[in-house]
Amino acid sequence: MNIINFLRNAFAGRKLATVGFIWLCFILLAAIFAPLIAPFDPLEIDPVGRLAEPGLPNLFGTDHFGRDTFSRAIYGARMTVIIGVGSVVVALVCGGLIGMLSAYFTRLGHFLMRGVDVLMAFPALLMALVLITLLERSVFNTILVIGIVYATTTARILYGMTLKLKGEVFVDAAVCSGAGHSSILFRHILPNLVSPLLVQASFIFAFAQLQAAALDFLGLGLPPEVPSWGNMLSEERIYVTRAPWLLIYPGLLIVLSVFSMNLVGDALRDSIDPRFKDDIAGV
Amino acid sequence: MTIKSWMKSALAVGALMTLTTGAYADGMLRYATVGEPPSLDQQVITSDLATTIAHHMFEGLYTFNGANAPVPLLASGETVSEDGKTIVISLREGVQFHNGQAMTSADVLASLQRWGEFGSRGSLIFDHVESVEASGEYEITLNLKEPFGPWKNLMAFINGGPAIYPASVATGATKEPISPENYIGTGPYKFNAWEANRYIELVRFDDYASPDGEADGYGGARVADFDTLRFIPVSDVGTRIAGVRAGDYDYAESIPGDLFAELDADAGVKTMLNGGPIFGLVFLNSSDGPLKENFALRRAIQTAIDKKPALQVAIGPEGLWRANGSFAPEGSVWNTPEGTENFSKGDAEAAKAMAAEAGYDGEPIKFMVSTNYPFHYDSAIVYTKQLAQAGFNIDLQVYDWATLIEKRAQPDQWDLFFTHHGFVPDPILISVMNDNYPGWWATPEKKALKDRFTASSDPAERQAIWAELQALIYEQVPTMKTGDVYTYNIASPKLKGLGEQTLIWPSFWNVSK
Amino acid sequence: MLAYTAKRLLTLIPTLLAATILVFLFVHLIPGDPAAILLGDTATPEEVAQLSAELGFDRPLWIQYFLWLGNVLQGDLGTSIFFREPVTAVIGSGAETSILLASMTMVWIIILGLPIGVLSATKHGTWIDQITSSGAMLAASVPTFWLGLYLIMIFSVTLGWFPSSGFPSLSDEGGITNLRYLILPSLTLAAPNAALIVRLVRASMLDVAREDHVRTARAKGLHPARVAIKHVFRNALIAVAAAFGFTFAALISEAVVTETVFSLPGIGRLVVQSILRRDYPVIQGVILVIVVLYMVINLLVDLAYARLDPRVSLK
Repeated sequence: MNIINFLRNAFAGRKLATVGFIWLCFILLAAIFAPLIAPFDPLEIDPVGRLAEPGLPNLFGTDHFGRDTFSRAIYGARMTVIIGVGSVVVALVCGGLIGMLSAYFTRLGHFLMRGVDVLMAFPALLMALVLITLLERSVFNTILVIGIVYATTTARILYGMTLKLKGEVFVDAAVCSGAGHSSILFRHILPNLVSPLLVQASFIFAFAQLQAAALDFLGLGLPPEVPSWGNMLSEERIYVTRAPWLLIYPGLLIVLSVFSMNLVGDALRDSIDPRFKDDIAGV
Repeated sequence: MTIKSWMKSALAVGALMTLTTGAYADGMLRYATVGEPPSLDQQVITSDLATTIAHHMFEGLYTFNGANAPVPLLASGETVSEDGKTIVISLREGVQFHNGQAMTSADVLASLQRWGEFGSRGSLIFDHVESVEASGEYEITLNLKEPFGPWKNLMAFINGGPAIYPASVATGATKEPISPENYIGTGPYKFNAWEANRYIELVRFDDYASPDGEADGYGGARVADFDTLRFIPVSDVGTRIAGVRAGDYDYAESIPGDLFAELDADAGVKTMLNGGPIFGLVFLNSSDGPLKENFALRRAIQTAIDKKPALQVAIGPEGLWRANGSFAPEGSVWNTPEGTENFSKGDAEAAKAMAAEAGYDGEPIKFMVSTNYPFHYDSAIVYTKQLAQAGFNIDLQVYDWATLIEKRAQPDQWDLFFTHHGFVPDPILISVMNDNYPGWWATPEKKALKDRFTASSDPAERQAIWAELQALIYEQVPTMKTGDVYTYNIASPKLKGLGEQTLIWPSFWNVSK
Repeated sequence: MLAYTAKRLLTLIPTLLAATILVFLFVHLIPGDPAAILLGDTATPEEVAQLSAELGFDRPLWIQYFLWLGNVLQGDLGTSIFFREPVTAVIGSGAETSILLASMTMVWIIILGLPIGVLSATKHGTWIDQITSSGAMLAASVPTFWLGLYLIMIFSVTLGWFPSSGFPSLSDEGGITNLRYLILPSLTLAAPNAALIVRLVRASMLDVAREDHVRTARAKGLHPARVAIKHVFRNALIAVAAAFGFTFAALISEAVVTETVFSLPGIGRLVVQSILRRDYPVIQGVILVIVVLYMVINLLVDLAYARLDPRVSLK
């Protein structure tokens, strides 16, 4: 299926989702061009100009280190994209492979999906806390921990969808024409799953932001020196009355971005193959 | 829904709301703590939080008055022999333990022996003790190997100190903290319950035998006005503040400096400054790595750092910190300017030159800091920037506190680490004086001075030797003091009798609501 | 049905064993020594090693595992290093808060989520549907601690309507009225989850509405509202009930952030604190209990499906 057409269909007549999509494009631009947009170094400390109110030159004020909140917010967009994309990649690659292979090779599948069941029984957030303490705080480990959580749900979903496709005529045809396993899996089955995967990806992206923010809040997420919206909220949360801008801006940025991603995911879901619609829960 | 049922639920909601305030009688003090202490065993646990709770139920032979001088508590007095080697302490009669037993010298003997062998600060005295004996039912005798000046200060310092337990508890106790059913002391409050994760509760001890005299610091008469003291763990500082403001707690500890002005102006809360400051310490590794025995390189690091910006960032308002290089605060007898000219130079160029001369060639210096204490982390960020400007290759490693204390025990894992130190009445109690404390500073120069320091019991002589020790610290740089921090707590304005300042740990005898 | 139940129970055993190994390994690989935490900053490495040995942490890991597993099989989760109390007792004291919080959250989810979901489905495609669906989605996009922070500022500090934090037990002074301590936390926790239920109720109702027997009912001329309640809703209820089961299990552990913000003595905060203190037996115990809880709910849901919906084949 043509992705452009798919997107065009998805957003046709959905104003809110379109606005959300545009907002996400802004976030992406901010992430890519952060050094050009940000007026200050996000890590530059200024003990004299701490806790300055929003205005000029500090649009969003400064934090308790005297760092420019606006510049940190711009660089925070970068972390948002990295965490989102990273978690999506981990979840889709690990979960997707396990799900597809399990559905295709039933004996292996029995074993693998039992493993997925075990993992799903674990309380996700609590296990994430244990794992981060074990592995130490870093961007990579945060992505890994969040990615693993969604890899299990993705595996379940792809397992179901691949099973449905496996019974279809075109797969039988491919088998008859002598295609190998990898060819059937990746040339014939996978292309049919691209659009549902896109939907799943958008929901994982949204959830990952909230999970990362929660980990940051508990002090077990990204390293504290990394400018992310979650860290900004977590580090400055005692200033809720003293310097309210330190909590309002990053908080709103998280809400808007997660909301947008959910809207986009919702729009995409409504326009995918109806066979797969029920498989993806989302929000 | 019918109108009648609507009204019923409205009434129910109304009833819930009116109950929001004043559900507890005035007889309970609700204290919001930063967490839960590992144990309340005062002899082996040095957590300040543990002492804040436990000094209401455990007492030592001595305590401190408002001027931080030791005064008798369970003791009634003492005589020291001419040569300073025999100390005879007489005990107060008629003191009862919470289990109803009378306190005698047998209990004191057992407690001192357990403390001497297993207590956190016990060996400081007992390395100099030949023997301890119960020389009468209410008399205890310490025979020293040589005169030991700080004995009374150490006895009075209850944190990791010689709390007096019944002999039945102290006998057979080891390094492992005693368990809650053995929390039996002589204090004005007795242990009632430790609900894991919820609260620790003490209740008034009706048979308490108070020392005489007017209350002064922790000395003098103690009156328990509350029926119950409840210490509730509230780990999030924002929640502690909101809780006192909303009237859910009467007292909350460890409040960030930046909020002082706002809270001080708020009629709904009272700010309580702590009299004794705490101070940050950056330890340098004397046992392994590039800093081992390279005192010139250490001085280069010391020269690169300007302590003021870190204090501004980490603490905030000027009144709550002092860029004071002396290990004792202003006003203390131990305060001395010796060596402090090197406290906070902040001279990147000089540091660079010194480092080059010391043979530093850019190898990474591992600096460990924990996020559990925001002021550690904030200061470390500032220092790292300053050190980088002076050409040091700093590898900042951020851990949680548990990981940090595990790593710092391994000499090959680190070069610098950040910690802090509470107020202590005698410099011998400062961690850097302990040869086994991570950092492992044990040079011959230190040993010579330390031996003279503990052997003397003449206050003026000891102060002079301490000045030399402090100068040596600035020369060999086993640790870098980061400045004094005056922490503060907040209280409900309803509490009466709190005084203006907290001496060392908040105390709630002679306090009412 | 009985055979099916027995078979499902049997398959639980290897899964549980695998879970115990995973839990034990993860928890014990965390760097840090509980003895060092107990003794505090001034303790020397020798003293720490001494206490560590007294606590039994110098034994090889696999021996520690089998000792632990043996005790677990007898229903003994070990002793908390920090509290020196049985882990079951420590968990028990947190369970009251966690279960009450999760239950109250479920009440909000039902009060808010169900009617909005039904409304959204019956007004499918109209502006009402759009507003309610997007509103639910917005609620699910708010970080819980951020929401909780502002709820405390507004409703506790400024208005003084509800307590700001903490939760005395129901058996404590105040009795049942102590539930007011959980009003703000449960609302905070309900916000994102209510949205999930709205979405689910709406989707299930729309799906079922497409099915034959509903069309028949409509064709018979029944009032649309009656159709909605009697036919559509009842069938959608199975899916919703399953979702409730899992949401409840998830709430117990997801509440960790909310419990931290509101300083509630629940299981989630217990785990966070236990991680910081390296109280291994408590971390292991809590996670194991939640894993078992999840598996039991999973089993119950499957059995319920098998009973309620004859279309589910008993594989």
